[in-house]
Amino acid sequence: MNRRLRDVPWAIAMLLPSLALVAVWTVYPLMRAIQKGHFRCDVTGKKCTDQGWSRYVDVFQSDEFQHALGVSIKLMLLTVPTGLVLGVGLAVLADKHLRGIGIFRTIFSSTIATSVAVASLVWFVLLQPQIGVLADMFSDWFPVLKNPGLLNDAGTALLAVALSSIWANLGFTFIIVTAALQSVPRDLYESAFVDGAGSMRRFTNVTIPMIAPTLLFVGVVLTTRALQTYGEIALLTGGGPNPQKPTTTIPYLIYGRNSIISTDIGTKSAAAVLLFLLSLVLALVQFRGLEKRVHYGS
Amino acid sequence: MRTARRRSLVAVSALVLVAACSGGGSITDSNDTTTTVASGGSTGDTAGTPDTLAPTTTVALDTLPDCPTDALAAADGPVEISFWHGMSSALGDEVTRLTDAYNASQDKVKVSLVQGSYEETADNYFQASADNRPDLVQLPEYQVQAMIDTASTVPVGKCIGASGLDTSPFLSAAMDAYATAGVQWAMPFNISNPVLFYNKRAFEAAGLDPNTPPASLEELQAFSKQIVDSGASKYGLALESGFDSGGGWYVEQWFCKAGEFYADNDNGRTNRATKVLYDNATGVDLLTFLQGMLNDGTAVDVGDNSQSGYDNLLKLADQVEPAAMTINTSASLGPVLQVLGTGQFPNIDAGDVGVGPMPGPEGKPGALIGGAALWVVDSGDDARTAAAWDFLTYLTGAQQQSEWAVATGYVPNRSDALELEPYKGTVAADPRFAVAYQQLLDTPAVPTSAGPVLGPLRQVRTVLANAVAAIFDGADVTATLTDAANQANGLIAEYNARN
Repeated sequence: MNRRLRDVPWAIAMLLPSLALVAVWTVYPLMRAIQKGHFRCDVTGKKCTDQGWSRYVDVFQSDEFQHALGVSIKLMLLTVPTGLVLGVGLAVLADKHLRGIGIFRTIFSSTIATSVAVASLVWFVLLQPQIGVLADMFSDWFPVLKNPGLLNDAGTALLAVALSSIWANLGFTFIIVTAALQSVPRDLYESAFVDGAGSMRRFTNVTIPMIAPTLLFVGVVLTTRALQTYGEIALLTGGGPNPQKPTTTIPYLIYGRNSIISTDIGTKSAAAVLLFLLSLVLALVQFRGLEKRVHYGS
Repeated sequence: MRTARRRSLVAVSALVLVAACSGGGSITDSNDTTTTVASGGSTGDTAGTPDTLAPTTTVALDTLPDCPTDALAAADGPVEISFWHGMSSALGDEVTRLTDAYNASQDKVKVSLVQGSYEETADNYFQASADNRPDLVQLPEYQVQAMIDTASTVPVGKCIGASGLDTSPFLSAAMDAYATAGVQWAMPFNISNPVLFYNKRAFEAAGLDPNTPPASLEELQAFSKQIVDSGASKYGLALESGFDSGGGWYVEQWFCKAGEFYADNDNGRTNRATKVLYDNATGVDLLTFLQGMLNDGTAVDVGDNSQSGYDNLLKLADQVEPAAMTINTSASLGPVLQVLGTGQFPNIDAGDVGVGPMPGPEGKPGALIGGAALWVVDSGDDARTAAAWDFLTYLTGAQQQSEWAVATGYVPNRSDALELEPYKGTVAADPRFAVAYQQLLDTPAVPTSAGPVLGPLRQVRTVLANAVAAIFDGADVTATLTDAANQANGLIAEYNARN
């Protein structure tokens, strides 16, 4: 008891630096955003009119936000499952003790060293409809690559963004899943083998359950990243093509220079707070819903 | 415990879904009935609009801050001032070079630079408290009304009056762009306007004179047809719908060429503008015409150009389905010639690029000033105001403008810069650099030659760009423009209600 009390000042002193950082860089901006979300402002950000809490409802119900919400969810559905499957697939492929496997591991994980900006620019140049390599090579089979271009066609733009995003995130998934695979005890595989389980059976009944916590973690991170997708959109499509705006995600609606609310700090704040709530609800659902089925070992 | 929590989660999700199903309307819609009145129909009159929504911008000069340009002589020791500008890469280097030269040329004033994009500079300026503002700031033409409404600057008209600066060499169109209601607010510094870029080789192959670009929209179509029919090029014209180009800014340019206002109250220059006019017959005719060129295959839409800024230009270099002509800002001429000069494009090189005035209705001349201007900030400190003015006169001086134009591709803002090297020699060697300047000289001195000043002009352009993209996709021209005008008018009313 006494000992505990004596530790309190020390505990506070030691927590203080990180508490201060969280307070300054997370809590304070969040509070400011919640407060600013009540307002509608002009380009100077100084002249605002208070619309009260109902502004959040208005923003949420607006056509633009609903559209962006739909785009964000579509992008999430396009990127998360595919990214997860590809990442696990590559990790399993590379989880072999073969000569030169290190080279493949390096290649598969290399996109983690690629920033969103670089990855997007690579795809932007490849997909450029007038002089891009892909457009010139494959336009006979896929005319959309040339006219109007994969990123300029309302039907394919989101798909192209998802492609770039999946590719860029693959290295992250690969590394995390590889680490998880290496921590699976080898004797589990051996006993399963002795029991007559084939490689498919070993994968579904040993590997998957053992790396399930990692898959949950990667799934949550990929979901959050998908909801926060901004860099790819800003560099590849600018939320376009207009007028359908099939790639205007919620973050692009908030920050994008082509966004209709780009000069209204109040409306942007409201949309940002709504995005925060959405991510929070989704993460909670994922943890609560999946946690029970996840085996964390003993 | 756990089930209770689960239930509350389900309830939250359900709420989200319910909310998602109801409601609607645009995020820019107003809840305020007073502003909805003004945003109603584009054809209706504004008689019902409360007077407070359109306060006069006619300001008596003596209510504005003074510009004591002689205070510099009285100051002891160098006056330190800061200049915020929006020029990056090569353009930024040239600003730095000019500033260093100024600092070295005298010992009264010492200028320090802060560089950002136009948007960053504007945001930083608007958010800064009075103590943290710079002494001089460069902002683009679409910020004129917003800057006036900050009431934080010394109108340069007062400085001109106090210093007796001779403004006769300056392009009057450029000066007028930064003047409203008789007040000269800022000084034009970097000027650009849209011009026609075309491939002379395609013109020759189609039997057209490679030195005679189309002057009117009708010629633009006829030339395009000849180019397409002869097989010289897959398309005649490459169109795009970026908000700072084909989807927004060019429409303002075409209204200038047609001799019509884009917004009421003389483009917002006699009184605060309350609505846009682009849904009138001129706008409908113009966009119907462009839509027609897309429909008959003489033109191609490359989408929103604001991503790369060069999609339409690259269409000229396309090896499979090239276009022969496109419209782009004159400021891109330098980079275009540089890129083509590398010889990586088989169907066009730097020498094949022709430059002509932007074709307009009936071939009438005219161009609005693009680019940015210098604003003297009201610091309340006479010596700093005078120092900022002194530096401004240096940056806009004839010799500096001659050097600036050559280094950047912007148009000089004064006629006496034309006679000075290096500009004189550059234009003599390559007349393509003179087209944008000539286009401004040919612009008639009428009120419609000064572009729209609207508080939310950036947003208004975004709204129109969206409508133009829809029209290029085949949407009904009249209905689309009417919708866009209504949304723009709502934004204007919303802004005016606050200012």
